Amino acid sequence: MIDTLLQGGLLPEGLDVSFKLLPAILVLSMLALFLVIGYVFRVADTEGMWVAGRSIGNVENGMAIGANWMSAASYLGMAALIALSGIYGLAFVVGWSTGYFILLIFMAAQMRRFGKYTAPDFVGDRFNSDTARAIAAVTTFLIGFVYAIGQARGMGLVGLYIFGDIGIPGLSGYQSMVVFMMAITVGYLTLSGMMGATKNMAVQYVILIVAFLVGLYAVGWTQGYSTVLPQIEYGQLISELSREFSAPFVNQSYYLWIATAFSLVVGTCGLPHVLVRFYTVENERTARWSTVWGLGFILLLYLSAPAFAAFGTDLFANNVGPVYGEGGMSSAAGDVIVVLAAQLSNLPQWFVGFVAAGGIAAAIATTAGLFITGSSAIAHDIYTNIINPEATQREQVLVGRLSIIALGVITTLAALDPAAPIAALVSYAFSLAGAVLFPMFFLGLWWENTNRQGALAGMTTGLVIWFIPMLNEVAPNYGLFTGMAGEAGVISPALAQWLPAVGSALVATPIVFLVTIAVSLMTAEPDLKTKRMVRQCHSPEPMGQQQTAEDVVTTDGGETPADD
Amino acid sequence: MNDSDRVEAESEPREYRTDGGTATARERSVNYLDAEVNIFKPSTPFMRDHLRIIWTGFVAWALIVFGPVTLTAVAPDAMSTQLPVLGFPLHYFLIAIGAPGGSLVLAFWYARQRDQLDEEYGIDHTVTGSTADEEAVAADGGADA
Repeated sequence: MIDTLLQGGLLPEGLDVSFKLLPAILVLSMLALFLVIGYVFRVADTEGMWVAGRSIGNVENGMAIGANWMSAASYLGMAALIALSGIYGLAFVVGWSTGYFILLIFMAAQMRRFGKYTAPDFVGDRFNSDTARAIAAVTTFLIGFVYAIGQARGMGLVGLYIFGDIGIPGLSGYQSMVVFMMAITVGYLTLSGMMGATKNMAVQYVILIVAFLVGLYAVGWTQGYSTVLPQIEYGQLISELSREFSAPFVNQSYYLWIATAFSLVVGTCGLPHVLVRFYTVENERTARWSTVWGLGFILLLYLSAPAFAAFGTDLFANNVGPVYGEGGMSSAAGDVIVVLAAQLSNLPQWFVGFVAAGGIAAAIATTAGLFITGSSAIAHDIYTNIINPEATQREQVLVGRLSIIALGVITTLAALDPAAPIAALVSYAFSLAGAVLFPMFFLGLWWENTNRQGALAGMTTGLVIWFIPMLNEVAPNYGLFTGMAGEAGVISPALAQWLPAVGSALVATPIVFLVTIAVSLMTAEPDLKTKRMVRQCHSPEPMGQQQTAEDVVTTDGGETPADD
Repeated sequence: MNDSDRVEAESEPREYRTDGGTATARERSVNYLDAEVNIFKPSTPFMRDHLRIIWTGFVAWALIVFGPVTLTAVAPDAMSTQLPVLGFPLHYFLIAIGAPGGSLVLAFWYARQRDQLDEEYGIDHTVTGSTADEEAVAADGGADA
């Protein structure tokens, strides 16, 4: 019990923390499988490292979209938020799924036609500016970092159930597990690159969705909650749960709901690791249909998470203690509610381990996508395009691997004492993507007169607005400005109410749009070549598999598709 | 409306060739690299048709996603009615299942519409890798020589 005290707030109550042989074997063989696949599809060139040779098909890319997307935040964090904050938690279900439709109608195919390697590439080439490229690259790196903290937290908490306290000297059980899991993830990534990561993502998707659904069905069946369709059957349980679970706006306001859902939608459309999935496909039709597939795959989990949350909440209330109010469920317990529900249902230990393994697969797949895009921002966009244009492929891949390690180290450090639950951590990254990158992608693709000055002004504005609530709400948690923070742990409660860190894009995105448009109108129009590149993104003429809009415009003036 | 236009156009391709003829021929005469891209001012028939689908989908999406929760804020009692059989409160059902499910249906609808649009304008993505390029080489070579 002394251990429990030492681990403080991050030991989930009710979770059986100890080394478990069968689950450990299960998880270790899963990790070994990822390493083998990563090694088999390892890469030596940049095309393979960043865009998987542009060879991925419909369903495979759909699965990769799903695996890439469904992180610890979906697998663990979403059920946690629904369990702890009821209707407000549903804003995450809605924001994280419906955003894909906006991505589909406005951006997927056009992005494929633009056909570069990375998201900062788009910004740099579209606005002809290395400064814009650098801002986008730094933003991409920041997104990867903030987003991955949530993944590391998830892996640490779930790993704790499987391996217990592995006891790295000087660290708590949770912290040791974060270090252990992140070391494995980084090792696997530096080996495999995007090709290996994409091949792995399809496998990871299957593992995580099967683990989640089988877990849900088993809990529902053994506890008498549901039979064939738990995704709908949990409705009958709702009236028995506390009103916090389903009554509208008891936990958070309507404004925060809209702000959160909006930020998650625009964030979805601005996330570099999501957009890069459209660069990896064969053609624009595949870009479209794989988005539909991807959304379908995602919904398998997203329609099930509320059911899991409902079952878990009921089980927790019956077995552990009150869920809401003083002494209620902690955020750490919430973050493992999926595993907790399986454990509280008295399912066999290996089975609970399997459910936990799904959470680890989810976290690793997303961390992979994030680190690959984060490292490509450094290696491709900053190092190769700005610092050393003569870099050989070898050097680029080396810089890429080094930046993956760097990302891994800082993420691990930040995750040792995380400031917020998984889903909240992840949503900070979404607000950033929605405020800084989404307006650039959207205007860059849909209004040819958006120019360099507009983009620079817009992105700077977005970064500034994003930083304000981060300093206001999140920095005090890390010991910065603690003295200035009031009772609620924030510096200005009024600011936190109208510009919340989890939903700052609701305010930021429209302002960034206005600034970008206004500055573009006041300054000179972009040159004809840039405009023609944008037009090529919207032309219905088919393009070659390895072609980019720029190739078409430069080679033949675009009268006809060009030769490779 | 659209259908009958198309049929009419397709039935008389030869006579009206100069005026555009079929949708395909009309589109072939458009050079997309000279057509301005502005989401509010579509400059070619293809962009106009495409944007009509996009905006229809967008409006439907906005209603599905933000409609139920807004109604719940306005009229919480009416929206909290318990659904028969399913047991959900109405707002919970519309938010948790209606919005994501509705978006998937819309996504499928959009991809289908866009495929039909491609067909209408004679766009074939399956040949992107080989045939289209070869044709292009020939056309190019001729022009350059």
